[in-house]
Amino acid sequence: MSAHNRGTELDLSWISKIQVNHPAVLRRAEQIQARRTVKKEWQAAWLLKAVTFIDLTTLSGDDTSSNIQRLCYKAKYPIREDLLKALNMHDKGITTAAVCVYPARVCDAVKALKAAGCNIPVASVATGFPAGQTHLKTRLEEIRLAVEDGATEIDVVINRSLVLTGQWEGSDFIKTSTGKETVNATFPVAIVMLRAIRDFFWKTGNKIGFKPAGGIRSAKDSLAWLSLVKEELGDEWLKPELFRIGASTLLSDIERQIYHHVTGRYAAYHDLPMS
Amino acid sequence: MAATRAGPRAREIFTSLEYGPVPESHACALAWLDTQDRCLGHYVNGKWLKPEHRNSVPCQDPITGENLASCLQAQAEDVAAAVEAARMAFRSWSVHPGVVRAQHLTRLAKVIQKHQRLLWTLESLVTGRAVREVRDGDVQLAQQLLHYHAIQASTQEEALAGWEPMGVIGLILPPTFSFLEMMWRICPALAVGCTVVALVPPASPTPLLLAQLSGELGPFPGILNVISGSASLVPVLASQPGIQKVAFCGALEEGRALRRSLAGECAELGLALGTESLLLLTDTADIDSAVEGVVDAAWSDRGPGGLRLLIQESVWDEAMRRLQERMGRLRSGRGLDGAVDMGARGAAACDLVQRFVREAQSQGAQVLQAGDVPSERPFYPPTLVSNLPPASPSKGSSSVPWPVVVASPFRTAKEALLVANGTPRGGSASVWSERLGQALELGYGLQVGTVWINAHGLRDPSVPTGGCKESGCSWHGGPDGLYEYLRPSGTPARLSCLSKNLNYDTFGLAVPSTLPAGPEIGPSPAPPYGLFIGGRFQAPGARSSKPIRDSSGNLHGYVAEGGAKDIRGAVEAAHQAFPGWAGQSPGARAALLWALAAALERRKSTLASRLERQGVELKAAEAEVELSARRLRAWGARVQAQGHTLQVAGLRGPVLRLREPLGVLAVVCPDEWPLLAFVSLLAPALAYGNTVVTVPSAACPLLALEVCQDMATLFPAGLANVVTGDRDHLTRCLALHQDVQAMWYFGSAQGSQFVEWASAGNLKPVWASRGCPRAWDQEAEGAGPELGLRAARTKALWLPMGD
Repeated sequence: MSAHNRGTELDLSWISKIQVNHPAVLRRAEQIQARRTVKKEWQAAWLLKAVTFIDLTTLSGDDTSSNIQRLCYKAKYPIREDLLKALNMHDKGITTAAVCVYPARVCDAVKALKAAGCNIPVASVATGFPAGQTHLKTRLEEIRLAVEDGATEIDVVINRSLVLTGQWEGSDFIKTSTGKETVNATFPVAIVMLRAIRDFFWKTGNKIGFKPAGGIRSAKDSLAWLSLVKEELGDEWLKPELFRIGASTLLSDIERQIYHHVTGRYAAYHDLPMS
Repeated sequence: MAATRAGPRAREIFTSLEYGPVPESHACALAWLDTQDRCLGHYVNGKWLKPEHRNSVPCQDPITGENLASCLQAQAEDVAAAVEAARMAFRSWSVHPGVVRAQHLTRLAKVIQKHQRLLWTLESLVTGRAVREVRDGDVQLAQQLLHYHAIQASTQEEALAGWEPMGVIGLILPPTFSFLEMMWRICPALAVGCTVVALVPPASPTPLLLAQLSGELGPFPGILNVISGSASLVPVLASQPGIQKVAFCGALEEGRALRRSLAGECAELGLALGTESLLLLTDTADIDSAVEGVVDAAWSDRGPGGLRLLIQESVWDEAMRRLQERMGRLRSGRGLDGAVDMGARGAAACDLVQRFVREAQSQGAQVLQAGDVPSERPFYPPTLVSNLPPASPSKGSSSVPWPVVVASPFRTAKEALLVANGTPRGGSASVWSERLGQALELGYGLQVGTVWINAHGLRDPSVPTGGCKESGCSWHGGPDGLYEYLRPSGTPARLSCLSKNLNYDTFGLAVPSTLPAGPEIGPSPAPPYGLFIGGRFQAPGARSSKPIRDSSGNLHGYVAEGGAKDIRGAVEAAHQAFPGWAGQSPGARAALLWALAAALERRKSTLASRLERQGVELKAAEAEVELSARRLRAWGARVQAQGHTLQVAGLRGPVLRLREPLGVLAVVCPDEWPLLAFVSLLAPALAYGNTVVTVPSAACPLLALEVCQDMATLFPAGLANVVTGDRDHLTRCLALHQDVQAMWYFGSAQGSQFVEWASAGNLKPVWASRGCPRAWDQEAEGAGPELGLRAARTKALWLPMGD
């Protein structure tokens, strides 16, 4: 991640001045999904772009080096080569933005990616994911260890008890949720976050990234997220440095759509490699 | 890999991430036009009417200019045929039980549901509006409208007992309109049992399609007839015998002209004029959401017109920055493209907005345009106009066209109300504020028909939509929409009272001079003398008097001869009293009316003896006094339960249906029932919070003046003003007064015609008796719900909720 939040004096009066009208935001969220659609080549190109924003994620208790290895391979070759060739996109070096794993699997991921000969960053969730309710000391140690293992991006779970009592923390990216909640990435919440990112940029010149995570499974969803960011923040936010989608099954649906776009047929399950 | 459908552009799009076209196929719209051989006539009595030797107008794609079909233009005889069909259909349609009508409307809703693609592609193709808006908004709402009104029809016998359908309704639609505007009006009309003849502008196929869908349902072919023709047919349709009401929707000046030309004619007139809306952005608003409100109002294909935007000075810069940012992301293009915010509305609309913007620029306004918009005509980019000098003509008179937003600053909420209410328009407005108290204060204070709090442009079939002031006072949707097409049962059908030789310039202009007719004689004490203005008896400006004779021809007394200056003074006094009185609770108003009732009873013997001198028997005279007192009490009590809360599908939170006072109400009382009619009109007018200027019975104004003696001690000054004198002259002064908000006239046919004509000035709602006597002692005519409906206006206040 190139841009870093240089930080600013904490001024809580900003936050207290912010007004969010809930029903109006809900209406906007409904509209945004209906007002922008992309079809045909545009859809294919947008979907390929979406691939480059994916933090390809596995966060299961039973993750082992073998499925991590498969994940990393998929991150390097997210779309079947012949499909990319048909779109004349095979030389664009399309990979996912990162792979995202538990701290204990960072080593496996780094190794697998090195073996595949690519420099896709490894992101690690850390700091007592997903609750964040562990001691500061162990949380910091967790980050340190993950970085030592080769993780270059850390998804920190902030201590929400501090937020709820008004003690905020800063970051380069903000994420809708851990993906482990009952309600995860929703448009209304995203709209509020994106507007906050824009306000922060207008006030300080710092660009903060945005990562929706959890529940984004279909190619259509991913397109809606792209247009949401495009509409609320503009094209300059549509790059992996500032926008990520945390997802595990999204990629295979995108690949199916690309398959359909290229061939005009719907793919069978076995037509596309698993991740 | 066999056939590859990938085009060469994917690489570029991958880098630019631009939007592409999302074309909606309009093959079915063209196929439907083909069924008519690309030649559309009129749809009358369940059949296509394609008379020979008619001019035809091409129906063009507003964007490509491609000829889609040719449309025959109606002539007067076609209009007559349609009205005749509607008249025949009315005979059966109106007498069927409500459930039968409900069934028919429900079936129409189902047909629309089954053929919605045809409907939305055709509408988008010919109007140029964004297909997404038509598909997701209009077509769905059209079905909801039919369902809602089907329910109203099915409960009509109980819920609307005492009312009956008016008859044949003539509906006139403006050159650019959404078919939804037609649905809003035909649904209530059909539901209550009226039948409709809609005159649509040339080349509007969608209403014809709707009429066809309705006609093909079978048993009631003639209830909805659509003819297309030029604006020159408007007076033809309006003056067609058998048309009981004309619902006109269109431009202000056309509405005004129609009001004048329909004076004295058979048809009643309902006006819905202008399209401009208003948005108030306060410094406690969620500005980003308010900006979306601006988009909904003016920079989308949702609203019909432009927007006046008032921004609180302290957030002006912030709001302007966000507006500009948002504008830049708007997309305009062919309406049939599924991913555009705005389509184009044809060459005429484009000319209109170009003129407006050029004019604004020449006055030094700052004009900002942005967005992804094709550069060629008839596309026009979203436009933000600011720094328009306050007194400039384009701000005051001409209404802001789509897609223009005219922004101006205000300092305080109080000032915002002054600015917002300082125009002749009274359509719709939204208030953006996160402070509940402030939002409600502004919502209640705005003189408009609809107010949305923290939202803009929401609509629902159960919520009345309409306006006040020069936006016209007709309503659609909700209970108010139904009453537009109903009249109290037993009211005779409206007939023309047109007197061709009535000279509007001279009617009531001169006051006949009166000479002393001797001293007052008789047993009663000398009657009070003077004009009752501002709470006290005043000498008339003309310093002359008019003799009043009793039934035996003797002089009963002299009353002051009021004139134009006295009317001016009375209206001023009434305006001064208005804010205080309108701000009183219904309970406080009732208390005062009850006090007046008690005073009337105390004065019973004097009043009865004066009535006796007018030839009323003592018993009847006493009964009249008692009934008058009862009327005051009844209205005081009735007004306690006014307005109510509506629950709307899809909205969390209530919509309040408020009943607000009209303002200063002018009442010209009938000659007969000099006491009862005076009180019966005064009571509902005051109960609903209006202040009143009354011209009492010309035959015997003395009764009203007796009551004034009590009003002088009980009422705040200016609440009720009574001006005696020459009836025609006073009527003229009141009807032409631009600052009188409504007028009730009970008098001659000629006077009624004059009042209807003169009301075009400020488009005040008028209620004229047209020379028909009224049974004031009967409950239905003397104190029926009609009076309550006419004594106040509705406002819908939307209050969406959320944490």
